[in-house]
Amino acid sequence: MTHSELEHCTYQAHGDYKSSYKHVGQPYVRKDAVEKVTGQARYAFDLELPGMLHAKTLHSPHARARIVSIDTSRAKALVGVKAVITGEDSDITVGLYMQDKLAIATGETRYQGEVVAAVTATTEAIAEKAISLIEVEYEVLEPVRNLDDALEAKTLVHEDIAEIKHVEGVFFPQPDSNIASLNKSRKGDLDKGMAEADLVVENEFTLPAVAHVPLETHVSIVQADPYSNRIRIWSSAQSPFALRQLMAHSFGVKESDIEVHIPFVGGAFGGKAGIHLEPLVTLLSRASGGAPVKLRMTREQEFNYLPTRAGMRGRIKTGVKKDGTMVASDIVYDWDSGAYADYGVNVGKTAVYGGLGPYDVDNVSIVSKTIYTNKVFSTAYRGFGHLETLWTVERQMDILSQKLGIDPYEFRMKNILRPGSTTVTGERVTRSTGCPADCLSAVVKEIGWTGRKSEEERAREWKTGKVRGKGFAMIQKAPAMPPNTATAVVMQMAGDGHVKIMIGAIDYGQGALTSIAQIAAQELDLPMDMIEVIKETNTETNPYDWNTVASKYTFMGGNATIQASRRMLDQMKDIAGQALRCSPEVLTHGDGYIYNKHRPERRIAYKDMALGYAYPDGNGIGGPLIAHGICMADGLTNLDPETGQGLPALAWTFGAHAVDIEVDVESGDITVLKVASAFDLGQVINERMVYGQVMGGVMQGIGSAILEGYKFSDDNVLLNPSFTDNKIPTFKDMPVEVVPIYIENPQLNGPYGARGVAEHTMISIPSAIGNALYDALGINFYHLPLTPENVALGIASGKKDVK
Amino acid sequence: MTTHDDKDICAMETAHVESQKRRVILSCRVNGQAVVEEIDPTMLLLHFLRDKLKLFGAKEACGEGECGACTVILNGQAVASCLVLAVEAQGGEVLTVEGLARDGELSILQQEFVFEDALQCGFCTPGMLMSARALLDRSPDPTDEEIMEGMGGNLCRCTGYQQIFNAVKRAAKREREELKRS
Amino acid sequence: MLSQFDYVKPLVLDQALDALSREGDTYILAGGTDLLISLRHNLIDAKHIVDIKAIPELDVFHFEEGKGLEIGANVVVNRLIDSDLIKTRYKALHDAASVLASYQLRNRATLVGNLCNASPGADLPPPLLIYDARVKIASSEGERTVDLKDFFTGVKKTQLAKNELVVSVLLPDPGQNDKSCYHRQTRLKGHDLSTVGVACRIDGQGKAAIGINAVAVTPLRLTALENELNARGLNEESILWASEEIKNHIKPISDVRSSREYRLHMAGVLFRRCMNQLMDKEA
Repeated sequence: MTHSELEHCTYQAHGDYKSSYKHVGQPYVRKDAVEKVTGQARYAFDLELPGMLHAKTLHSPHARARIVSIDTSRAKALVGVKAVITGEDSDITVGLYMQDKLAIATGETRYQGEVVAAVTATTEAIAEKAISLIEVEYEVLEPVRNLDDALEAKTLVHEDIAEIKHVEGVFFPQPDSNIASLNKSRKGDLDKGMAEADLVVENEFTLPAVAHVPLETHVSIVQADPYSNRIRIWSSAQSPFALRQLMAHSFGVKESDIEVHIPFVGGAFGGKAGIHLEPLVTLLSRASGGAPVKLRMTREQEFNYLPTRAGMRGRIKTGVKKDGTMVASDIVYDWDSGAYADYGVNVGKTAVYGGLGPYDVDNVSIVSKTIYTNKVFSTAYRGFGHLETLWTVERQMDILSQKLGIDPYEFRMKNILRPGSTTVTGERVTRSTGCPADCLSAVVKEIGWTGRKSEEERAREWKTGKVRGKGFAMIQKAPAMPPNTATAVVMQMAGDGHVKIMIGAIDYGQGALTSIAQIAAQELDLPMDMIEVIKETNTETNPYDWNTVASKYTFMGGNATIQASRRMLDQMKDIAGQALRCSPEVLTHGDGYIYNKHRPERRIAYKDMALGYAYPDGNGIGGPLIAHGICMADGLTNLDPETGQGLPALAWTFGAHAVDIEVDVESGDITVLKVASAFDLGQVINERMVYGQVMGGVMQGIGSAILEGYKFSDDNVLLNPSFTDNKIPTFKDMPVEVVPIYIENPQLNGPYGARGVAEHTMISIPSAIGNALYDALGINFYHLPLTPENVALGIASGKKDVK
Repeated sequence: MTTHDDKDICAMETAHVESQKRRVILSCRVNGQAVVEEIDPTMLLLHFLRDKLKLFGAKEACGEGECGACTVILNGQAVASCLVLAVEAQGGEVLTVEGLARDGELSILQQEFVFEDALQCGFCTPGMLMSARALLDRSPDPTDEEIMEGMGGNLCRCTGYQQIFNAVKRAAKREREELKRS
Repeated sequence: MLSQFDYVKPLVLDQALDALSREGDTYILAGGTDLLISLRHNLIDAKHIVDIKAIPELDVFHFEEGKGLEIGANVVVNRLIDSDLIKTRYKALHDAASVLASYQLRNRATLVGNLCNASPGADLPPPLLIYDARVKIASSEGERTVDLKDFFTGVKKTQLAKNELVVSVLLPDPGQNDKSCYHRQTRLKGHDLSTVGVACRIDGQGKAAIGINAVAVTPLRLTALENELNARGLNEESILWASEEIKNHIKPISDVRSSREYRLHMAGVLFRRCMNQLMDKEA
């Protein structure tokens, strides 16, 4: 494919997107917009329960310390304080995949910010005062600071690493080490591949931990019934059913003893996917005689105590032939995952199948180590490791193309996954998998790529003080979830024909409430105002969903909704068949009616069957229309522990970003002039919401690219625990132009051919900008973030490789 | 919990009496309605609106004036209510997001936020609306730079800002046309 | 916030000054954008808050041709931006005010408050320093006026005694043939503290003045560098020379916001950009 062939590439961009469906693909206004623009939407942050107590927490100021003593007597004596607890009061352990954490630190603390004591009181002010009266004596210990410290293993973050209960066969903690899990994948024969290569290039890339920064911090309210095992939870959280399961496991009660309610959630981005404040607040409620207890994190606590995206180092060695064929790829990912395994260990595991990039390479080895250090721990974060691995891979792709003297677009197209390729886990790619080549071509065309800048052009521009550059990078991600992940929806019809759908997932802005309604509207042929998805999800009445993560809900919830809709139609046809005295097979539906295909005037309205059907003489048949639909991720498998072979991916959403930037060569400031972002999402369900995901993801990606990153002191104390020095992009940091592009190669088992697109929009923005920096400056950068300081000092150093 | 001896109880009673002496009667108008409440002067305006008046629209997302989620309009000026003492509203007027709609009808600004999908999780939305309201009140025909400056103090993590920008721009135009503003 | 305070809002200056003299742990509330953060983080224990916003003499914003401008303690930063006078006669101050914090914070933050907070990286001091600002201070014992350059004594420290209050800031009239500007480096295009900020001025006699923040324990007026530069005369060469020489006149540190190297680098770059902008206007 040459640049001139790009002219024949076509795509639908935001301005000209048209759907061929009545409801699916249409840009409906979101269903919960009105509550949100009137201040009526209630978040856990806002909730009040009768008799509620307020909780506050005390956090360790040391990265690693032994708790010598805690004196809570003055706190307990304060009038209005109902309970004060420390690690002495609990032995509850918590962990999604590895039970390595106590609900409240006991005996030792493993990161600066870990909770060592907590109080409840009648007012927040009294609780704050009580915290200030608690005296803790610490013996400060040498922390395991970083990856190299951790791998040296002179000190172990978890002395008992060999005894930690974990999901066997999936995670592999290494005894006498700080490696929470060592995962690998292998394809072909790496040594043979490297030997065949004409050129072998080896590089190291890094990026720091970043914070999710949901505008609503973590909040939990728990009421632990003193007379039974019942625990009621209201949380700002993504996964009510996972919470139920994990709480039941940690507290040794039945899942049906745990009741989780999720009100509106003010942002999450993966940081609220697991279990966070709930065990601690449960302990506080129990200690307070079962009163409801509310704990709200301050922003500083959100940065210091709650988990982050892991810092990561990628070491990549690639063998290529002169003609650009990649023949071997040897990658080691080291994840600086902090003090506890939480979700971070799954990010590490996922890298062995997500961490190659969308390329067909015959000989591959990926080793991924999730490593303990004494800093705030890591968890799921938008992209689930793919932004990090693609920083490594896509920068390496660009550097390889530089060294080969091949255009970076051509180089990628030569190696990209196409129907007939196999992925690193041995999955065969078909047309139904999606087409990364279409995505890359679309963005490269949209950005007006005509090849790399020449030295002369660069020198000319440099004199003006500002240099332009273009770069692009591939995206791929599939949901990282257990192979037997399932979801269900329940659909009911009211007597007036209105349909209500209960889902197990949460809409925290990504649009599930609306997109699910659209799919049901499409299936049932009802207008959108006749369909509603219940806004609050709770585990008592709603059907199960695994976690609202992984960009999988449109796919799985959508399929379940289609099944439920068709079952409801079947129920109605069954009733109508009796009433109309014909076989259900000759019936069809449309416009709110079940009608006879041949004689459409023989019909019954949905609403006349909603509660059963009544004959003119009063006879009733049928009954209330209730349908459920399920979706099981079918055909997926675990990965072989040695080779990483298997079928982990429900749906691969491929994509690409291309960026056009301007760099101030003195200050290092990067202005993003244009971003073109294409995703093979199979089918747009709601164009306005996909647009929102692209704009939001690009912005968050820019944050990771040029601005964000945790900074630690030599003692692993967080230096930027507030918005003063832990910045996220603002209005003024918007790119001048963003062009979302929708590629629709349908996935044959997706709802209307749809795959997910949510996390993807953020992934690879840093890679694209890093590549564009090379085009602009002729300098390769290896470490994020590409702050003005790092770029300026990099330029001033005179080096071509800023390592 | 330990029992208290007489000295502790006495100290607590003294502290209670002292705290009563500090209390002030705050009298102001909120969303056009007169409000009279007895408060401790340490109370922030943000907490007064939320905890006393149960107007939960304004949010505390940082408590340091860096994020804008607590923005309300005090005496015609957009302010970060987490950095204002409630008592500073004495005799004044406060407008919150709950005061934008009239008789169950969304204001033009709110309609445009809905139409342009200028929200996702919605947590920053009340603050965004109030900054936008204050902007359009002082600048009915704002330039792009004025919109950036007027909204720049409000953080959003979900939307990437473009749709919010578009909504404010469209609302400005509609307000000028429909409300005959100039 | 652990502080438990009472609140008064005097209508006359003397009452405020009395309160400062009388009571310990008394703090002045103007805009509150620094005070309330200190309260939130329990950096101070306040027992009395004195709100000065009802004191009329603190609202002063008065310019007299030939004499200069007096900016009272209650004048908020947005007022500086809206003022055509500031825009034309004290442009660097206008530039700095325009980038300070965010719009809603500028509705409350005051110029005097920014000075009293005395952050080494504060935006408003460099423009005020190059205009030879003076600070009028009152207490129950009387009034005194000091040069702004002597006002700052250390990181977040000023020469204000516990019983003193800054009443206003005085700026001499620079005349019509004066020009200035302020450029600063930040980590992003949105609101941020200054990594380093430079204010430059070329006065009616063609003499340069240079103010800078975030490169020492206080904001600085680079008098020694100005003298050397003015001795050489202002031209492309001397400006280039000064943009390197400036690094010998400042002592930045590395902190969470920036490294020392980048501050040194950008001090030179920003100085040169300021001066080129001012010189271009001449040509």
